[in-house]
Amino acid sequence: MSIHIEDITKKFARFPALHHVNFTIESGELVALLGPSGSGKTTLLRLIAGLEFPDKGRILFGDRDVTSQSAYQRKAGFVFQHYALFQHLSVFENIAFGLRVRKKSQRPPEPQIRARVEQLLETIQLTEFAKRLPSQLSGGQRQRVAFARALAIEPEVLLLDEPFGALDAKVRKELRHWLRRFHDTTHLTSLFVTHDQDEAFEVADRVVLIDKGEVQQIGTPDEVRDLPANSFVEEFLDLDGTVPV
Amino acid sequence: MAGAVTTFPAGTVAPPRATAESPLIKRLLVGVLLVFFGLFLVLPLLVVFHEAFAKGVQVFLKTFQDRATAHAVQLTLLTAAIVVPLNAIFGLFAAWAVTRFTFRGRSLLISLIDLPLWVSPVIGGLIYVLIFGRQGWLGPLFFPSQETLDSNFLARFLYDHDIKVIFAEPGIILATIFVTFPFVARGLIPLMQAQGHKEEEAAMTLGANGWQIFSRVTLPKIKWGLIYGLILCNARAMGEFGAVSVVSGHIRNKTNTMPLHIEILYNEYQFAAAFAVASVLSVLALLTLIIKTYAEWQTERQVREAAGTGG
Repeated sequence: MSIHIEDITKKFARFPALHHVNFTIESGELVALLGPSGSGKTTLLRLIAGLEFPDKGRILFGDRDVTSQSAYQRKAGFVFQHYALFQHLSVFENIAFGLRVRKKSQRPPEPQIRARVEQLLETIQLTEFAKRLPSQLSGGQRQRVAFARALAIEPEVLLLDEPFGALDAKVRKELRHWLRRFHDTTHLTSLFVTHDQDEAFEVADRVVLIDKGEVQQIGTPDEVRDLPANSFVEEFLDLDGTVPV
Repeated sequence: MAGAVTTFPAGTVAPPRATAESPLIKRLLVGVLLVFFGLFLVLPLLVVFHEAFAKGVQVFLKTFQDRATAHAVQLTLLTAAIVVPLNAIFGLFAAWAVTRFTFRGRSLLISLIDLPLWVSPVIGGLIYVLIFGRQGWLGPLFFPSQETLDSNFLARFLYDHDIKVIFAEPGIILATIFVTFPFVARGLIPLMQAQGHKEEEAAMTLGANGWQIFSRVTLPKIKWGLIYGLILCNARAMGEFGAVSVVSGHIRNKTNTMPLHIEILYNEYQFAAAFAVASVLSVLALLTLIIKTYAEWQTERQVREAAGTGG
Protein backbone atom coordinates (compact mmCIF):
# COMPACT_ATOMS: atom_id res chain seq x y z
CA MET A 1 0.00 0.00 0.00
CA SER A 2 1.51 3.34 -1.03
CA ILE A 3 1.42 6.42 1.20
CA HIS A 4 0.80 9.87 -0.29
CA ILE A 5 1.58 12.98 1.71
CA GLU A 6 -0.03 16.00 0.07
CA ASP A 7 0.76 19.54 1.18
CA ILE A 8 0.73 18.66 4.89
CA THR A 9 0.93 21.69 7.16
CA LYS A 10 0.76 21.57 10.94
CA LYS A 11 1.45 24.33 13.43
CA PHE A 12 1.94 22.81 16.85
CA ALA A 13 2.06 24.07 20.34
CA ARG A 14 3.78 20.95 21.66
CA PHE A 15 5.63 19.56 18.64
CA PRO A 16 7.80 20.97 15.85
CA ALA A 17 5.73 22.35 12.98
CA LEU A 18 5.51 21.17 9.35
CA HIS A 19 5.18 23.34 6.25
CA HIS A 20 3.71 22.10 2.96
CA VAL A 21 5.25 18.63 3.03
CA ASN A 22 4.79 16.54 -0.13
CA PHE A 23 6.07 13.09 -0.99
CA THR A 24 4.99 9.60 -1.91
CA ILE A 25 6.11 6.27 -0.58
CA GLU A 26 5.61 3.56 -3.17
CA SER A 27 4.02 0.29 -2.24
CA GLY A 28 6.60 -2.12 -0.81
CA GLU A 29 9.23 0.53 -0.15
CA LEU A 30 11.27 0.92 3.03
CA VAL A 31 11.82 4.65 3.53
CA ALA A 32 13.79 6.48 6.20
CA LEU A 33 12.70 9.88 7.47
CA LEU A 34 16.00 11.46 8.43
CA GLY A 35 16.59 14.75 10.22
CA PRO A 36 17.94 16.41 13.34
CA SER A 37 15.84 16.54 16.49
CA GLY A 38 13.15 19.20 16.29
CA SER A 39 12.97 18.89 12.50
CA GLY A 40 9.38 17.64 12.54
CA LYS A 41 10.03 14.06 11.47
CA THR A 42 8.24 12.46 14.42
CA THR A 43 5.37 14.91 14.01
CA LEU A 44 5.01 13.77 10.42
CA LEU A 45 5.00 10.10 11.43
CA ARG A 46 2.35 10.74 14.09
CA LEU A 47 0.23 12.55 11.49
CA ILE A 48 0.47 9.54 9.17
CA ALA A 49 -0.52 7.20 12.03
CA GLY A 50 -3.50 9.37 12.95
CA LEU A 51 -2.18 10.27 16.41
CA GLU A 52 -2.27 13.92 15.36
CA PHE A 53 -4.24 15.73 12.69
CA PRO A 54 -2.90 18.17 10.09
CA ASP A 55 -4.09 21.77 9.79
CA LYS A 56 -3.96 21.47 6.01
CA GLY A 57 -3.29 18.86 3.37
CA ARG A 58 -4.22 15.23 2.75
CA ILE A 59 -2.86 11.81 3.61
CA LEU A 60 -3.74 8.84 1.42
CA PHE A 61 -3.12 5.14 1.91
CA GLY A 62 -3.32 3.93 -1.69
CA ASP A 63 -6.53 5.52 -3.00
CA ARG A 64 -8.07 5.76 0.45
CA ASP A 65 -8.12 9.28 1.93
CA VAL A 66 -7.43 8.73 5.64
CA THR A 67 -6.92 12.39 6.57
CA SER A 68 -9.97 12.58 8.80
CA GLN A 69 -9.73 9.04 10.17
CA SER A 70 -8.42 8.55 13.69
CA ALA A 71 -5.61 6.17 14.57
CA TYR A 72 -7.87 3.29 15.47
CA GLN A 73 -9.57 3.40 12.07
CA ARG A 74 -6.34 3.70 10.05
CA LYS A 75 -4.69 0.72 11.68
CA ALA A 76 -1.21 1.55 10.56
CA GLY A 77 1.26 -0.60 12.47
CA PHE A 78 3.16 1.74 14.79
CA VAL A 79 6.36 0.99 16.71
CA PHE A 80 7.33 3.46 19.44
CA GLN A 81 10.85 4.43 20.43
CA HIS A 82 10.28 3.35 24.02
CA TYR A 83 8.27 0.26 23.06
CA ALA A 84 5.05 1.33 24.87
CA LEU A 85 4.29 -2.30 25.67
CA PHE A 86 1.39 -3.00 28.00
CA GLN A 87 3.17 -3.56 31.29
CA HIS A 88 0.43 -5.63 32.88
CA LEU A 89 0.06 -8.06 29.96
CA SER A 90 2.29 -10.99 29.03
CA VAL A 91 4.29 -10.97 25.81
CA PHE A 92 1.65 -13.24 24.29
CA GLU A 93 -1.25 -10.97 25.28
CA ASN A 94 0.64 -7.88 24.13
CA ILE A 95 0.88 -9.35 20.65
CA ALA A 96 -2.71 -10.61 20.72
CA PHE A 97 -4.08 -7.21 21.84
CA GLY A 98 -4.86 -5.83 18.38
CA LEU A 99 -6.79 -8.98 17.46
CA ARG A 100 -8.70 -9.18 20.75
CA VAL A 101 -10.05 -5.61 20.53
CA ARG A 102 -11.61 -6.19 17.14
CA LYS A 103 -15.35 -6.10 16.76
CA LYS A 104 -16.89 -9.50 17.29
CA SER A 105 -17.76 -9.87 13.62
CA GLN A 106 -14.15 -9.26 12.57
CA ARG A 107 -12.38 -10.98 15.44
CA PRO A 108 -10.71 -14.26 14.54
CA PRO A 109 -11.68 -17.26 16.68
CA GLU A 110 -9.42 -18.05 19.64
CA PRO A 111 -7.42 -20.90 18.00
CA GLN A 112 -6.65 -18.61 15.06
CA ILE A 113 -5.48 -15.82 17.39
CA ARG A 114 -3.21 -18.31 19.19
CA ALA A 115 -1.79 -19.59 15.93
CA ARG A 116 -1.12 -16.09 14.65
CA VAL A 117 0.60 -14.99 17.88
CA GLU A 118 2.70 -18.14 18.02
CA GLN A 119 3.78 -17.63 14.45
CA LEU A 120 4.81 -14.05 15.25
CA LEU A 121 6.66 -15.19 18.37
CA GLU A 122 8.62 -17.50 16.12
CA THR A 123 9.37 -14.69 13.69
CA ILE A 124 10.85 -12.59 16.49
CA GLN A 125 12.47 -15.67 18.07
CA LEU A 126 10.86 -15.20 21.46
CA THR A 127 8.64 -18.30 21.59
CA GLU A 128 9.88 -19.35 25.02
CA PHE A 129 9.19 -15.84 26.40
CA ALA A 130 5.44 -15.89 25.67
CA LYS A 131 4.41 -15.89 29.33
CA ARG A 132 6.90 -13.26 30.50
CA LEU A 133 5.96 -9.70 31.37
CA PRO A 134 7.63 -6.88 29.41
CA SER A 135 9.55 -5.83 32.52
CA GLN A 136 11.34 -9.19 32.44
CA LEU A 137 12.75 -8.62 28.95
CA SER A 138 15.81 -6.79 27.66
CA GLY A 139 15.46 -3.66 25.53
CA GLY A 140 16.05 -5.50 22.28
CA GLN A 141 13.54 -8.20 23.19
CA ARG A 142 10.96 -5.56 24.12
CA GLN A 143 11.36 -3.83 20.79
CA ARG A 144 10.90 -7.15 18.97
CA VAL A 145 7.68 -7.71 20.90
CA ALA A 146 6.58 -4.21 19.89
CA PHE A 147 7.25 -5.16 16.24
CA ALA A 148 5.24 -8.35 16.56
CA ARG A 149 2.37 -6.51 18.26
CA ALA A 150 2.22 -3.97 15.41
CA LEU A 151 2.38 -6.75 12.79
CA ALA A 152 -0.35 -8.86 14.42
CA ILE A 153 -3.12 -6.66 13.03
CA GLU A 154 -1.72 -7.23 9.51
CA PRO A 155 -1.24 -3.52 8.83
CA GLU A 156 -0.96 -2.21 5.30
CA VAL A 157 1.81 0.16 6.33
CA LEU A 158 4.36 0.00 9.13
CA LEU A 159 5.48 3.19 10.88
CA LEU A 160 8.50 3.15 13.19
CA ASP A 161 9.50 6.04 15.44
CA GLU A 162 13.23 5.85 16.18
CA PRO A 163 12.79 2.11 16.64
CA PHE A 164 16.41 1.50 17.62
CA GLY A 165 16.93 4.78 19.46
CA ALA A 166 16.77 3.38 22.98
CA LEU A 167 19.02 0.36 22.33
CA ASP A 168 22.75 -0.11 22.73
CA ALA A 169 24.99 -0.14 19.67
CA LYS A 170 25.29 -3.90 19.24
CA VAL A 171 21.57 -4.69 19.57
CA ARG A 172 20.89 -1.72 17.33
CA LYS A 173 22.97 -3.19 14.53
CA GLU A 174 21.37 -6.61 14.89
CA LEU A 175 17.84 -5.25 14.82
CA ARG A 176 18.71 -3.02 11.89
CA HIS A 177 19.74 -6.02 9.83
CA TRP A 178 16.76 -7.95 11.07
CA LEU A 179 14.40 -5.17 9.91
CA ARG A 180 16.03 -5.13 6.45
CA ARG A 181 15.71 -8.93 6.12
CA PHE A 182 12.15 -8.81 7.40
CA HIS A 183 11.30 -6.19 4.82
CA ASP A 184 12.94 -8.13 2.01
CA THR A 185 10.67 -11.09 2.73
CA THR A 186 7.40 -9.22 3.38
CA HIS A 187 7.73 -6.02 1.30
CA LEU A 188 5.46 -4.27 3.77
CA THR A 189 5.44 -0.55 3.02
CA SER A 190 7.46 0.94 5.86
CA LEU A 191 8.50 4.37 7.03
CA PHE A 192 10.94 4.80 9.85
CA VAL A 193 12.11 7.91 11.63
CA THR A 194 15.75 8.27 12.59
CA HIS A 195 18.34 10.92 13.30
CA ASP A 196 21.16 8.47 12.55
CA GLN A 197 22.34 8.73 8.93
CA ASP A 198 24.23 5.40 9.02
CA GLU A 199 21.05 3.69 10.03
CA ALA A 200 19.05 5.44 7.32
CA PHE A 201 21.56 4.75 4.56
CA GLU A 202 22.13 1.16 5.55
CA VAL A 203 18.53 0.07 5.88
CA ALA A 204 16.36 2.24 3.64
CA ASP A 205 15.55 2.04 -0.08
CA ARG A 206 15.06 5.78 -0.10
CA VAL A 207 15.74 8.58 2.35
CA VAL A 208 13.60 11.66 2.99
CA LEU A 209 15.71 14.41 4.56
CA ILE A 210 13.73 16.86 6.62
CA ASP A 211 14.66 20.02 8.49
CA LYS A 212 12.70 22.88 10.05
CA GLY A 213 9.46 21.22 9.01
CA GLU A 214 10.35 21.14 5.31
CA VAL A 215 11.54 18.35 3.04
CA GLN A 216 15.14 19.09 1.99
CA GLN A 217 15.81 16.16 -0.30
CA ILE A 218 14.38 12.81 -1.34
CA GLY A 219 16.43 10.08 -2.94
CA THR A 220 18.23 6.78 -2.66
CA PRO A 221 21.16 6.73 -0.22
CA ASP A 222 23.58 6.97 -3.16
CA GLU A 223 21.76 9.89 -4.75
CA VAL A 224 21.70 11.85 -1.51
CA ARG A 225 25.34 11.18 -0.79
CA ASP A 226 26.52 11.95 -4.31
CA LEU A 227 24.33 14.96 -4.97
CA PRO A 228 23.29 16.72 -1.77
CA ALA A 229 20.50 19.12 -2.73
CA ASN A 230 21.54 22.02 -0.50
CA SER A 231 23.87 23.17 2.21
CA PHE A 232 21.70 21.70 4.98
CA VAL A 233 22.00 18.20 3.54
CA GLU A 234 25.71 18.68 3.01
CA GLU A 235 26.28 19.85 6.56
CA PHE A 236 23.92 17.36 8.19
CA LEU A 237 25.62 14.46 6.42
CA ASP A 238 28.96 16.03 7.20
CA LEU A 239 30.02 15.66 3.56
CA ASP A 240 32.00 18.91 3.48
CA GLY A 241 32.48 18.65 -0.22
CA THR A 242 34.64 15.54 0.16
CA VAL A 243 34.08 12.88 -2.47
CA PRO A 244 32.28 9.86 -1.01
CA VAL A 245 34.02 6.54 -1.44
CA MET B 1 31.49 2.20 56.98
CA ALA B 2 33.36 0.21 59.61
CA GLY B 3 35.61 -1.21 56.91
CA ALA B 4 36.36 2.26 55.61
CA VAL B 5 37.40 3.51 59.04
CA THR B 6 40.07 0.83 59.46
CA THR B 7 41.82 1.89 56.26
CA PHE B 8 42.84 5.24 57.70
CA PRO B 9 46.52 5.30 58.71
CA ALA B 10 47.23 4.91 62.39
CA GLY B 11 47.06 8.16 64.31
CA THR B 12 44.52 9.86 62.03
CA VAL B 13 40.86 10.09 62.78
CA ALA B 14 38.23 9.39 60.16
CA PRO B 15 36.52 12.65 59.24
CA PRO B 16 32.89 12.63 60.37
CA ARG B 17 30.27 12.39 57.67
CA ALA B 18 28.34 15.60 57.27
CA THR B 19 25.07 13.92 58.14
CA ALA B 20 26.37 11.57 60.81
CA GLU B 21 25.11 12.06 64.36
CA SER B 22 26.53 10.47 67.45
CA PRO B 23 24.76 7.23 68.47
CA LEU B 24 23.48 9.00 71.56
CA ILE B 25 21.64 11.65 69.58
CA LYS B 26 20.28 9.05 67.23
CA ARG B 27 18.90 7.00 70.11
CA LEU B 28 17.49 10.11 71.74
CA LEU B 29 15.67 11.17 68.56
CA VAL B 30 14.23 7.74 67.93
CA GLY B 31 13.26 7.51 71.59
CA VAL B 32 11.41 10.83 71.53
CA LEU B 33 9.63 9.75 68.39
CA LEU B 34 8.55 6.46 69.97
CA VAL B 35 7.31 8.18 73.13
CA PHE B 36 5.30 10.63 71.04
CA PHE B 37 3.96 7.83 68.90
CA GLY B 38 2.96 5.82 71.97
CA LEU B 39 1.36 8.72 73.84
CA PHE B 40 -0.54 10.28 70.99
CA LEU B 41 -1.43 7.35 68.76
CA VAL B 42 -1.17 3.95 70.38
CA LEU B 43 -2.41 4.85 73.86
CA PRO B 44 -5.61 6.60 72.73
CA LEU B 45 -6.35 3.71 70.40
CA LEU B 46 -5.91 1.23 73.25
CA VAL B 47 -8.15 3.35 75.46
CA VAL B 48 -10.87 3.23 72.81
CA PHE B 49 -10.83 -0.56 72.75
CA HIS B 50 -10.44 -0.85 76.50
CA GLU B 51 -13.43 1.38 77.16
CA ALA B 52 -15.47 -0.32 74.45
CA PHE B 53 -15.14 -3.66 76.20
CA ALA B 54 -15.01 -2.26 79.76
CA LYS B 55 -18.47 -3.60 80.57
CA GLY B 56 -18.04 -6.85 78.73
CA VAL B 57 -18.67 -8.21 75.25
CA GLN B 58 -22.42 -8.41 75.92
CA VAL B 59 -22.74 -4.68 76.39
CA PHE B 60 -20.50 -4.10 73.37
CA LEU B 61 -22.73 -6.24 71.16
CA LYS B 62 -25.93 -4.80 72.62
CA THR B 63 -24.85 -1.35 71.53
CA PHE B 64 -25.31 -2.32 67.92
CA GLN B 65 -28.77 -3.74 68.52
CA ASP B 66 -29.92 -0.32 69.65
CA ARG B 67 -32.13 1.14 66.91
CA ALA B 68 -30.48 4.56 66.84
CA THR B 69 -27.00 3.05 66.66
CA ALA B 70 -27.99 0.61 63.94
CA HIS B 71 -29.49 3.48 61.96
CA ALA B 72 -26.32 5.54 62.37
CA VAL B 73 -24.24 2.64 61.03
CA GLN B 74 -26.64 2.24 58.10
CA LEU B 75 -26.58 5.94 57.25
CA THR B 76 -22.79 5.98 57.37
CA LEU B 77 -22.60 2.96 55.06
CA LEU B 78 -25.17 4.48 52.70
CA THR B 79 -23.27 7.78 52.60
CA ALA B 80 -20.00 6.01 51.83
CA ALA B 81 -21.70 3.82 49.21
CA ILE B 82 -22.91 6.92 47.35
CA VAL B 83 -19.96 9.23 47.92
CA VAL B 84 -17.10 6.86 47.10
CA PRO B 85 -18.30 5.85 43.60
CA LEU B 86 -19.18 9.47 42.75
CA ASN B 87 -15.79 10.73 43.87
CA ALA B 88 -14.13 7.87 42.02
CA ILE B 89 -15.72 9.16 38.81
CA PHE B 90 -15.01 12.83 39.57
CA GLY B 91 -11.46 11.95 40.58
CA LEU B 92 -10.85 9.93 37.41
CA PHE B 93 -12.16 12.74 35.21
CA ALA B 94 -10.14 15.34 37.09
CA ALA B 95 -6.93 13.32 36.97
CA TRP B 96 -7.50 12.47 33.31
CA ALA B 97 -8.12 16.11 32.38
CA VAL B 98 -5.10 17.57 34.15
CA THR B 99 -2.63 14.88 33.10
CA ARG B 100 -3.73 14.33 29.48
CA PHE B 101 -4.43 17.84 28.31
CA THR B 102 -2.70 21.16 28.61
CA PHE B 103 -5.11 24.04 28.93
CA ARG B 104 -5.33 27.51 30.39
CA GLY B 105 -5.86 27.37 34.15
CA ARG B 106 -4.56 23.82 34.50
CA SER B 107 -2.23 24.55 37.43
CA LEU B 108 -4.99 26.50 39.11
CA LEU B 109 -7.31 23.53 38.71
CA ILE B 110 -4.73 21.18 40.26
CA SER B 111 -4.48 23.53 43.24
CA LEU B 112 -8.25 23.85 43.52
CA ILE B 113 -8.67 20.09 43.72
CA ASP B 114 -6.84 20.31 47.06
CA LEU B 115 -9.08 23.09 48.37
CA PRO B 116 -11.21 20.84 50.62
CA LEU B 117 -8.01 19.75 52.40
CA TRP B 118 -7.06 23.32 53.23
CA VAL B 119 -10.32 24.67 54.53
CA SER B 120 -11.94 23.64 57.77
CA PRO B 121 -14.57 20.94 57.22
CA VAL B 122 -17.02 23.18 59.02
CA ILE B 123 -16.81 25.52 56.04
CA GLY B 124 -17.57 22.58 53.78
CA GLY B 125 -20.83 22.18 55.69
CA LEU B 126 -21.59 25.87 55.92
CA ILE B 127 -21.39 26.28 52.13
CA TYR B 128 -24.40 24.00 51.77
CA VAL B 129 -26.27 25.67 54.61
CA LEU B 130 -25.71 28.99 52.83
CA ILE B 131 -27.09 27.53 49.61
CA PHE B 132 -29.87 25.23 50.76
CA GLY B 133 -30.60 26.46 54.29
CA ARG B 134 -33.62 28.48 55.40
CA GLN B 135 -31.73 31.77 54.92
CA GLY B 136 -29.77 30.46 51.93
CA TRP B 137 -29.94 31.25 48.21
CA LEU B 138 -32.28 28.39 47.51
CA GLY B 139 -33.89 28.60 50.93
CA PRO B 140 -37.30 29.72 49.59
CA LEU B 141 -37.48 26.50 47.55
CA PHE B 142 -36.75 24.14 50.43
CA PHE B 143 -38.41 26.10 53.24
CA PRO B 144 -41.27 27.66 51.26
CA SER B 145 -43.88 30.09 52.47
CA GLN B 146 -47.50 29.34 51.55
CA GLU B 147 -47.24 31.94 48.82
CA THR B 148 -44.22 30.25 47.22
CA LEU B 149 -45.92 26.88 47.47
CA ASP B 150 -48.85 28.16 45.44
CA SER B 151 -46.82 29.95 42.80
CA ASN B 152 -43.70 27.81 42.37
CA PHE B 153 -44.08 24.38 40.82
CA LEU B 154 -40.63 23.19 41.91
CA ALA B 155 -41.14 24.26 45.52
CA ARG B 156 -44.52 22.48 45.50
CA PHE B 157 -42.93 19.32 44.12
CA LEU B 158 -40.13 19.34 46.70
CA TYR B 159 -42.62 19.97 49.50
CA ASP B 160 -45.05 17.27 48.37
CA HIS B 161 -42.27 14.69 48.11
CA ASP B 162 -40.64 15.85 51.33
CA ILE B 163 -37.32 16.48 49.61
CA LYS B 164 -34.89 18.42 51.75
CA VAL B 165 -31.16 18.97 51.62
CA ILE B 166 -30.25 20.57 54.92
CA PHE B 167 -31.13 18.48 57.97
CA ALA B 168 -31.53 15.50 55.63
CA GLU B 169 -29.49 12.79 53.91
CA PRO B 170 -28.74 14.76 50.71
CA GLY B 171 -27.01 17.47 52.76
CA ILE B 172 -24.89 14.86 54.53
CA ILE B 173 -23.93 13.33 51.20
CA LEU B 174 -23.11 16.71 49.62
CA ALA B 175 -20.97 17.76 52.58
CA THR B 176 -19.16 14.41 52.53
CA ILE B 177 -18.53 14.67 48.79
CA PHE B 178 -16.98 18.08 49.38
CA VAL B 179 -14.53 16.98 52.06
CA THR B 180 -13.55 13.71 50.32
CA PHE B 181 -13.24 15.08 46.80
CA PRO B 182 -9.42 15.39 46.62
CA PHE B 183 -8.43 11.86 47.62
CA VAL B 184 -9.00 9.92 44.39
CA ALA B 185 -7.63 12.67 42.16
CA ARG B 186 -4.56 13.07 44.37
CA GLY B 187 -3.93 9.34 44.29
CA LEU B 188 -4.06 9.29 40.50
CA ILE B 189 -2.42 12.51 39.28
CA PRO B 190 1.22 11.71 40.24
CA LEU B 191 0.88 8.16 38.93
CA MET B 192 -0.68 9.17 35.61
CA GLN B 193 1.90 11.93 35.17
CA ALA B 194 4.72 9.43 35.66
CA GLN B 195 3.21 6.92 33.26
CA GLY B 196 2.43 9.23 30.36
CA HIS B 197 0.11 7.98 27.63
CA LYS B 198 2.24 6.09 25.14
CA GLU B 199 0.53 2.80 25.98
CA GLU B 200 -2.84 4.39 25.25
CA GLU B 201 -1.53 5.63 21.91
CA ALA B 202 -0.22 2.17 21.13
CA ALA B 203 -3.63 0.69 21.91
CA MET B 204 -5.21 3.27 19.61
CA THR B 205 -2.97 2.33 16.67
CA LEU B 206 -3.91 -1.31 17.29
CA GLY B 207 -7.56 -0.45 16.72
CA ALA B 208 -8.88 -0.19 20.29
CA ASN B 209 -11.77 2.22 20.84
CA GLY B 210 -12.03 4.66 23.75
CA TRP B 211 -13.70 2.28 26.17
CA GLN B 212 -11.32 -0.57 25.33
CA ILE B 213 -8.34 1.71 25.88
CA PHE B 214 -9.69 2.78 29.27
CA SER B 215 -10.70 -0.65 30.52
CA ARG B 216 -7.83 -2.72 29.09
CA VAL B 217 -4.91 -0.31 29.28
CA THR B 218 -5.50 2.71 31.51
CA LEU B 219 -7.41 1.06 34.34
CA PRO B 220 -4.87 -1.74 34.94
CA LYS B 221 -2.10 0.86 34.86
CA ILE B 222 -3.68 3.07 37.51
CA LYS B 223 -5.34 0.31 39.52
CA TRP B 224 -3.32 0.69 42.71
CA GLY B 225 -3.35 4.47 42.64
CA LEU B 226 -7.11 4.30 42.29
CA ILE B 227 -7.48 1.82 45.16
CA TYR B 228 -5.25 4.03 47.28
CA GLY B 229 -7.46 7.04 46.62
CA LEU B 230 -10.69 5.10 47.13
CA ILE B 231 -9.61 3.70 50.47
CA LEU B 232 -8.65 7.12 51.80
CA CYS B 233 -11.86 8.58 50.43
CA ASN B 234 -13.88 5.84 52.10
CA ALA B 235 -12.18 6.27 55.46
CA ARG B 236 -12.78 10.00 55.44
CA ALA B 237 -16.37 9.60 54.21
CA MET B 238 -17.20 7.29 57.11
CA GLY B 239 -15.29 9.30 59.70
CA GLU B 240 -16.22 12.86 58.73
CA PHE B 241 -17.58 14.86 61.64
CA GLY B 242 -17.30 18.61 61.11
CA ALA B 243 -18.91 19.16 57.73
CA VAL B 244 -21.64 16.60 58.38
CA SER B 245 -22.32 18.03 61.83
CA VAL B 246 -23.18 21.43 60.34
CA VAL B 247 -25.74 20.14 57.83
CA SER B 248 -27.12 17.16 59.70
CA GLY B 249 -29.23 18.62 62.50
CA HIS B 250 -28.42 15.53 64.60
CA ILE B 251 -31.85 13.98 64.27
CA ARG B 252 -31.69 10.52 65.76
CA ASN B 253 -32.84 7.69 63.48
CA LYS B 254 -32.78 10.16 60.60
CA THR B 255 -29.64 12.21 60.08
CA ASN B 256 -27.20 10.79 62.59
CA THR B 257 -24.03 9.26 61.22
CA MET B 258 -21.62 7.16 63.27
CA PRO B 259 -19.26 10.00 64.30
CA LEU B 260 -22.24 12.21 65.26
CA HIS B 261 -23.81 9.33 67.13
CA ILE B 262 -20.62 8.79 69.13
CA GLU B 263 -20.81 12.37 70.31
CA ILE B 264 -24.46 12.04 71.32
CA LEU B 265 -23.84 8.81 73.21
CA TYR B 266 -20.87 10.32 74.97
CA ASN B 267 -22.80 13.43 75.96
CA GLU B 268 -25.49 11.17 77.39
CA TYR B 269 -22.88 9.42 79.55
CA GLN B 270 -23.25 6.13 77.65
CA PHE B 271 -19.50 5.71 77.59
CA ALA B 272 -19.35 1.99 76.80
CA ALA B 273 -21.70 2.46 73.85
CA ALA B 274 -19.85 5.55 72.63
CA PHE B 275 -16.53 3.72 72.70
CA ALA B 276 -18.05 0.61 71.14
CA VAL B 277 -19.07 2.65 68.07
CA ALA B 278 -15.73 4.44 68.17
CA SER B 279 -13.90 1.11 68.18
CA VAL B 280 -15.66 0.09 64.97
CA LEU B 281 -14.48 3.30 63.31
CA SER B 282 -10.98 2.64 64.68
CA VAL B 283 -10.89 -0.87 63.22
CA LEU B 284 -11.91 0.66 59.92
CA ALA B 285 -9.03 3.12 60.23
CA LEU B 286 -6.55 0.33 60.92
CA LEU B 287 -7.81 -1.70 57.97
CA THR B 288 -7.53 1.41 55.82
CA LEU B 289 -3.95 1.87 56.96
CA ILE B 290 -3.02 -1.69 56.01
CA ILE B 291 -4.64 -1.56 52.58
CA LYS B 292 -3.26 1.94 52.03
CA THR B 293 0.28 0.82 52.79
CA TYR B 294 -0.02 -2.10 50.42
CA ALA B 295 -1.56 0.09 47.70
CA GLU B 296 1.20 2.66 48.16
CA TRP B 297 3.81 -0.01 47.76
CA GLN B 298 2.14 -1.31 44.59
CA THR B 299 1.77 2.23 43.22
CA GLU B 300 5.47 2.89 43.71
CA ARG B 301 6.21 -0.33 41.88
CA GLN B 302 4.06 0.82 38.94
CA VAL B 303 5.79 4.21 38.90
CA ARG B 304 9.18 2.48 38.97
CA GLU B 305 8.17 0.22 36.11
CA ALA B 306 6.91 3.18 34.11
CA ALA B 307 10.23 4.94 34.67
CA GLY B 308 12.33 1.84 34.02
CA THR B 309 10.85 1.03 30.65
CA GLY B 310 10.13 4.50 29.37
CA GLY B 311 6.38 4.03 29.84
